Amino acid sequence: MNFLTLFARNLRTGPQTEAFPLGPAFTPEKLRGRIVFNAENCEGCRICERVCPAGAIKFAKSPDGMTFDCWHNTCVFCGNCEFYCPTDAIHQTNDWNLAHVQADKFAMVEHGLIPNMKCSDCGATALNTAPMVKNVKPPLSEAELGEVRSRCPKCRAKYLKNRKVPS
Amino acid sequence: MGLIPNFKTLATRSPWLYRINAGSCNGCDVEMAVTALIPRYDVERLGCQYCGSPKHADIVLISGPLTVRVKDAVLRLYEEIPDPKVTVAVGVCPISGGIFRESYAVLAPIDQYIPIDVNVPGCPPRPQAIIAGVAKAIEIWRERL
Repeated sequence: MNFLTLFARNLRTGPQTEAFPLGPAFTPEKLRGRIVFNAENCEGCRICERVCPAGAIKFAKSPDGMTFDCWHNTCVFCGNCEFYCPTDAIHQTNDWNLAHVQADKFAMVEHGLIPNMKCSDCGATALNTAPMVKNVKPPLSEAELGEVRSRCPKCRAKYLKNRKVPS
Repeated sequence: MGLIPNFKTLATRSPWLYRINAGSCNGCDVEMAVTALIPRYDVERLGCQYCGSPKHADIVLISGPLTVRVKDAVLRLYEEIPDPKVTVAVGVCPISGGIFRESYAVLAPIDQYIPIDVNVPGCPPRPQAIIAGVAKAIEIWRERL
């Protein structure tokens, strides 16, 4: 029946030309477009770099921490990175308007930095990543999450091991 | 001015488009055909028209990562287009190689061989994105003419 309603509507209103570029363009909510990265949520597992078929995502070590770079000019909008990200740190927006002049070619980069920090327990330098606590039971409270986050990986493991679970 | 029309203002109203397929998978070509041919996206509102001969073209749309086999043909075709011309790279393949990057059969990025003016990334880009790229190309072309 759906095609009949479409048919009736087309008979009534006729085909339309989209207003773009003279007006706003229709953009579906779930359109797979430009990638945005949220360094706050990243746990530094680098699975997105691994699954990216076009090699658009690159992580690199720098003196300030670990940098994330996604070059939109190689990204094919497949959505693998968002699918595999365990902590929802990487997202696809529905922004499709990426046309740019040649001078901006290498500026089309989504950049993020996971900063270094000092471990609150042992004082070692570690990346301030989101903790991998998805499967911890019972789930951590807000205060506990903050405490885990302020530690280096080794002290995080120790903290979770020594955590008293109320029974 | 008098009886002689100002050819420059007349000519800048209607750039003619030409498509080069440099080994594309046809995804971008379908999108380019769609921007021109169907009334929904209608690139002719911008005064553009597709032409069949490179000798009539003003704006060149290149798709595909420039495969080794097709390189000579593409460069010969590009030479035939009269100056001033504006080149638009459509899709991620000519811009960086996209999914075919670092392949032995592919010479991407295409700007090593052909000067590119506008990039439209996407795999494939939306018809609206291609129209936005063509609009940018028309601005550049008006400055050059």
